[in-house]
Amino acid sequence: MSEMKDMIVDVVERMLKEKVDKDLVDTVEQGNWAPELWDLFKENGMTAVAITEENGGAGGDIEDLLNIVRLTGKYAAPIPFAETTFANYLLEFTSLQVIEDLATYMLCPNQAFTLENGKLTGEAIQIPWARHTKHLVTLAHSLEGTHLVEIDLSQAEIKHGTNLAGEPRDTAIFHHANVSQVSAVLSPDKMHAITTLNTAFQLALMTGAIDKINDLTVQYTKEREQFGRPIHRFQLVQQHIVHLAGETAIALAAFNNVTEALQMNKQNSEVAYARIRFEEIIQTVTTIAHQVHAAIGTTHEHSLHQFTRRLWSWRDEGASTSSWTNLVATQLLENSGDSLWGYLTSFSSSSPLLKVEG
Amino acid sequence: MFHLPTVQFTQEQEQFRLDVRTFLQDELAKGTFTSKCDSWLSGDDPEFSKLIGQKGWIGLTWPKKYGGQERSTIDRYILTEEFLAVGAPVAAHWFADRQTGPLLLRYGTEEQREYFLPKIVKGECYFGIGLSEPNSGSDLASVSTRAEKVEGGWLVNGQKIWTSNAHLCHYMVTLVRTSAFDGKNKHAGLSQLIVDLHAEGVTVVPIKFLTGEHHYNEVFFDNVFVPDNMVVGEIGNGWAQGLAELAFERSGPERILSTFPLIDELIQELKRQNNLEGLKQASKIVARLWSLRNLSIGVAQLLETGNSEDVSIPAALVKAFGTKFEQSIPEITRLIIQTYPTLDAHRKIDRFMAESILHAPGFTIRGGTSEVLYGVVAKGVIAQ
Ligand SMILES: Cc1cc2nc3c(=O)[nH]c(=O)nc-3n(C[C@H](O)[C@H](O)[C@H](O)COP(=O)(O)OP(=O)(O)OC[C@H]3O[C@@H](n4cnc5c(N)ncnc54)[C@H](O)[C@@H]3O)c2cc1C
Repeated sequence: MSEMKDMIVDVVERMLKEKVDKDLVDTVEQGNWAPELWDLFKENGMTAVAITEENGGAGGDIEDLLNIVRLTGKYAAPIPFAETTFANYLLEFTSLQVIEDLATYMLCPNQAFTLENGKLTGEAIQIPWARHTKHLVTLAHSLEGTHLVEIDLSQAEIKHGTNLAGEPRDTAIFHHANVSQVSAVLSPDKMHAITTLNTAFQLALMTGAIDKINDLTVQYTKEREQFGRPIHRFQLVQQHIVHLAGETAIALAAFNNVTEALQMNKQNSEVAYARIRFEEIIQTVTTIAHQVHAAIGTTHEHSLHQFTRRLWSWRDEGASTSSWTNLVATQLLENSGDSLWGYLTSFSSSSPLLKVEG
Repeated sequence: MFHLPTVQFTQEQEQFRLDVRTFLQDELAKGTFTSKCDSWLSGDDPEFSKLIGQKGWIGLTWPKKYGGQERSTIDRYILTEEFLAVGAPVAAHWFADRQTGPLLLRYGTEEQREYFLPKIVKGECYFGIGLSEPNSGSDLASVSTRAEKVEGGWLVNGQKIWTSNAHLCHYMVTLVRTSAFDGKNKHAGLSQLIVDLHAEGVTVVPIKFLTGEHHYNEVFFDNVFVPDNMVVGEIGNGWAQGLAELAFERSGPERILSTFPLIDELIQELKRQNNLEGLKQASKIVARLWSLRNLSIGVAQLLETGNSEDVSIPAALVKAFGTKFEQSIPEITRLIIQTYPTLDAHRKIDRFMAESILHAPGFTIRGGTSEVLYGVVAKGVIAQ
């Protein structure tokens, strides 16, 4: 972790606290754009964190960046921060040029576009924030194999869509469009690394939202009175608080361990374990938070649902939990000589994930 | 929320892990011990404890002048994990290593340290934990075993119950009332005494566990004389001293790994069957274990760096969540593969299942019930 981390986290949290409120999130959920918030992040250099200096980066490393993403999740910041920074991270990771404008990405392998003579054709759904962004970073199949490409979204036909949380999830259709950049053919290892990194960004967003839901709920149990006392005095409500706190602590610790493993290039399957575990965490946390808030939490007036709806959406995006379970199961099966304990505590690093080639 | 530190093991620590593992595998192959679930409570084998003592693996973190190795809490964490993962019989010296040694280092007299610690380190001196009484379980401050001041020491009368391995132990750290109960300040007037379990007036009566095994006991005191030099810390400070031990007691790997041998055998069995579907279900167990271990090591790291006050809430959380996890393992296992749980079964998985099913109810009770821990966590969270 870079020495800047605490400072960056402080600055970003202050910015978000000051600039993002429920109204702003509502406005963007209705299809608007939050230019001031975006500009603030950009002017403060946050969109260039973890990009190397020779590519115009602002210093900081992957752990710093993931912590900023975590905070954007904690405040439901209605801007494509994770999307833009991840798109750039991918470009650098595959030795392509990073870009300065708003960007997004789409990695679903079965939605990949076809690439012929530098022209891209095809359709992809569920692209985050496509209508508001300029550049799309995505996968494309050529005769040689799968590449990462960067393409200008102004060439696409865009159809608007939204997820459960009202976040833009658009469809883009390209016909023989010009790609701006094409990577070398991606090896299976590289594809796996890309999926892993993508999931790490999603875990960051989810961790932030889980943390916030815990805060909102604990706060509410102190404010809300029934039968003449605050509801946190009831043992069954306390039991909810404990389960919520426990799942939140587990999520935070999992996230910290994932980022540190990525940072140190030591990751084995931390992302897989975390992603599998988050499935249960999200289920528990959202159920408890709504139960404790009771009726008020189900209203549009309250902010709780801005976070629970996001979690319900995010858990279905990107690589599925079942693909991660499959991966762990296969590893267990192939790890024939060793005991489970040996597998869990092995410290040999897998192929280095974050070294930028070239 | 709690931000627990992450831990990356050093090269030396990884090597230490492998050394311990190799030793245990060799001894297992030689037949020195048999793997067992819940081995830290029911796997008592004084011969094995002595062997561990010879390796220098008891009191690993203690000062060298008492026979310790002055190694880190994280090293001890690794050592403990390796014992539990293979289900080694460590119960005989367990409480002396985990609780009594640290207690004496913190509150004991120099004389007590010099007398007890080198013996504990050799794996030759075992301690029981004398807290619970028939009418004092969760509400421990209500204990009524009393000690009265007499010439040169204290006279103890009363009874303890559920004392694990008291029949094997040489001594017991016993929580007693040294002044009259004060309803307004229940935590005052409690003290910790080291009672020699072979002293006159001590009677140890077995209680059979639901497996039929003898592992815990009732301990009766009838005018038992305890000399002044066997008082731990200050008279009247027993409650505070006891609390200080709790974070160590509650957050260790033993709150997660009691049924680990069963999980390991489940995975082996699924691998033998080439059962990918079963392994997918089992991968959830792996994810849960990994995520709990993060918390538990985080607490160990905090303990290493000092301030034990900060850790009491996360430590309670680790215990409540960890024991629920280890308790769930036999239930999950039986839904993944068919077993025939029997304590003397030939097939390992059947035996581990039997041990796990029958020991599981105790996991969420010993060391403070989940309900009591929930109370601690909830109050801590609300106060944040
Ligand atoms: C395997 C095993 C080994 C043990 N070894 C030892 C040992 O070596 N030394 C020793 O001293 N003790 C030992 N114990 C005893 C253990 O510490 C006690 O059983 C435990 O503290 C609970 O006390 P109790 O059984 O009297 O239950 P009680 O306190 O009577 O509790 C009964 C029920 O009421 C609930 N309850 C009680 N108070 C509250 C509250 N405030 N809020 C909510 N719910 C509450 C409890 O959670 C429980 O569900 C051992 C126990 C077991 C199972």
